[in-house]
Amino acid sequence: MRRGALITCLAVILGMSASAWGGEKKVVRIWHTETEPQSVAAFQQIIQDFEKLHPDITVKQEALAWGDLEAKLTAALAAGAPPDASHGQAVTCASFYAKGLLRDQEDIAAAIGRDNIWEAVRRQCLHDGKYYGIPHSAATSLLIYRKDIFRQKGLKPPETWDDFIKVAEALMERDASGRVTRYGLSLPGVGLFINIAVGELTAANGGRLFDLRTGRPTFTEKQVIEVLDFYKKLNDTVLPPGWLGHGYLDTFANLATGKAAMLYQGYGRGAGYIEKYAPKEMANPEHFGVMVKPHGPSGKETAAQIDAEPWMIFKNAKYPEEAAEFLKFFFKEENYIKYLHTVPIHLLPTLKSVRANPAYQANAMVRKWKEWQDMQYRYFETGRAKPTLIVEWDDLRLPFGLEILGSGIVPDMVTDAVRGMPSAQAAAKAQARAEELITKLGYKRW
Amino acid sequence: MARPSDRDPQPAASARLDRPPGAALVGPGLRPRAARRRPAGWQQRHSLVGLLTIAPALVLILALTLYPVAYSIWLSLLEKHSFFPQERFVGLENYRYLWGDPEFWTSLWYGVVYSFWTILFQIILGVAAALILNETFLGRNLVRGIVLFPYMIPTIVAVILWKWLLNDTYGVINYWLLALGIGREPISWLGADHIMLSLVLVSIWQFFPFVLLSILARLQTIPEELYEAAKVDGASPLRRFTHITLPQIRGILFVVILLRSIWMFTKFDTVWLMGEGAGAGRFIRTLPVYAYMRTLTYYQAGLGAALAVIMFAILVVCTVIYFGLFREEADIG
Repeated sequence: MRRGALITCLAVILGMSASAWGGEKKVVRIWHTETEPQSVAAFQQIIQDFEKLHPDITVKQEALAWGDLEAKLTAALAAGAPPDASHGQAVTCASFYAKGLLRDQEDIAAAIGRDNIWEAVRRQCLHDGKYYGIPHSAATSLLIYRKDIFRQKGLKPPETWDDFIKVAEALMERDASGRVTRYGLSLPGVGLFINIAVGELTAANGGRLFDLRTGRPTFTEKQVIEVLDFYKKLNDTVLPPGWLGHGYLDTFANLATGKAAMLYQGYGRGAGYIEKYAPKEMANPEHFGVMVKPHGPSGKETAAQIDAEPWMIFKNAKYPEEAAEFLKFFFKEENYIKYLHTVPIHLLPTLKSVRANPAYQANAMVRKWKEWQDMQYRYFETGRAKPTLIVEWDDLRLPFGLEILGSGIVPDMVTDAVRGMPSAQAAAKAQARAEELITKLGYKRW
Repeated sequence: MARPSDRDPQPAASARLDRPPGAALVGPGLRPRAARRRPAGWQQRHSLVGLLTIAPALVLILALTLYPVAYSIWLSLLEKHSFFPQERFVGLENYRYLWGDPEFWTSLWYGVVYSFWTILFQIILGVAAALILNETFLGRNLVRGIVLFPYMIPTIVAVILWKWLLNDTYGVINYWLLALGIGREPISWLGADHIMLSLVLVSIWQFFPFVLLSILARLQTIPEELYEAAKVDGASPLRRFTHITLPQIRGILFVVILLRSIWMFTKFDTVWLMGEGAGAGRFIRTLPVYAYMRTLTYYQAGLGAALAVIMFAILVVCTVIYFGLFREEADIG
């Protein structure tokens, strides 16, 4: 009797274990950079709907801070445990493509319609005619300013960097004792954002960061040195003294609370922060407007940065095919719109059909902050927006963008300049470091 | 005169047990071990069993300590991409490169500055707090619990908390400094000029409880009679501290300074989270941060490993010197 019971128990345990092994789910790991709680929640909803259709798959999302992504991603790659799919900068996608790490996404492009992908973001990770990354959304950097004060002071939109400094100085405010109570500008001092700013300022100054033919850095060219001079002037006149220690969110806090009058590296998601943190009566586009970014002394046209991380799928990950299935599901209009609406002014649709979709248009924030959206569309449609550190689209063919981005060489160049080193010397120092890095990586072609 | 540690421990133990030197310890009713006759191979088999018994632990120790160190040294001799399977043996080239790399020397300097000031003030604050918390007062246990708080909370929480407090736009610290009339402008605690000071302050706050805990544990074992006798002899509190407390805690102080020095010199998380390596963070780019950057943002695993090996070598040399300088404390510790 006792023996019988024991055998039954063992059989039940073995049976349960076997069914657990047999029914083990595939766990697809997805990393992304949309950390706002409503985005994480919407993404989770999409995951749950996907899992209902694919009971053998579990999708686990991890929302990472934008500035942390590349370092974590490469650490995971170094450890041999990359996620199945992840966001990444365009330069990251280019570097990973060059190293043969990515699965192509032609099937995803076919599923969502190749022609349906917005032309302005197609080249984010398109190599040899194939998609290796499709942006999860699109956005550009924005010059955001206090429209109400700007009007009060009767200022004109700046066209050049010199004009810009004059406007920023005019927007500054001091108390009776001469203490600054509102700075003209707020900039993030974080490495990633300095990389972004140097890229777009160089483009706005008619310059380049790399020689396309040889890949040699061109930091010592006049246009880049003028960028450093511009940084110096901003630092000496209109920026808060501790700006090098300010994060991206600090700059929005500065704007929303009236401590700064302008942001050069603002983004659409700032509309949400303004609605949350600015006084209620001021949280509207009448107080916080956007205007065209000025150009430098050697440039003729404006420039902005594209924030549109492509989804990358790692072919050596555990479940790349399942990740691709999930992304096809993610881009289905009914799911995709849910995601875009979590940060409506920042997450502009990658798919043309969605932009025209009434369900997408039916959003109060989209209507309220239309001016901000339109400015981003303007940068895209005039071709004046490029990804981080990219001045010309062909720069994406250079396989070492990721390493330059991560190395801190460009932010160090700016730090050296604003801390007193002559711009030409700071540029020469950075040039030498970048050349050495590229040489050591085995990409020297000059 | 030989110091206690220099003596052969066996006679002392024998003396304590009141038995003749050389006699083996035996249980009641057993013959002395020396009198037993063992087969010739028994001793060998016995040793083999012993070796086999400790083998798993030995393998684990080798795998978890020696192998990573050896692998790092090997890696430092290669020019290797961090995640791409390309490598080339370059001998000591990475070390030669670092010798001429100004970033390396700056990072080393930042690391020394950071370690020195944080250790100094952790010790001063930790010992002072331990002395206070060793006294009897109402609510002592509660205070003992509260002071451990900084050491218990995760580093990420501690750093975010301090970054809020120190923020030059909306931080509470600047608010109070201005409200109290200390300074006219807010101080950019996280800007290039003050970020090292902020990092040192945060680290002292975060890690002094370890010193406190270690010293307090030792203080509680000092016989009260020593202090009573000193009081009877008319010794002032300062003399009681210098002549009783300090000699009693010097052993643990030796260990605490050694551990904290190693930990602060190799501290990564707090430093990285405070500055993330660039912008103002460049001014707190210590050696561990630089090693991390070389490995995982420049993707030069060989150079990163060379930096790690150099850190290891610096610590070994400093530890040997430290042991040499404080031999007596080392014995007690």
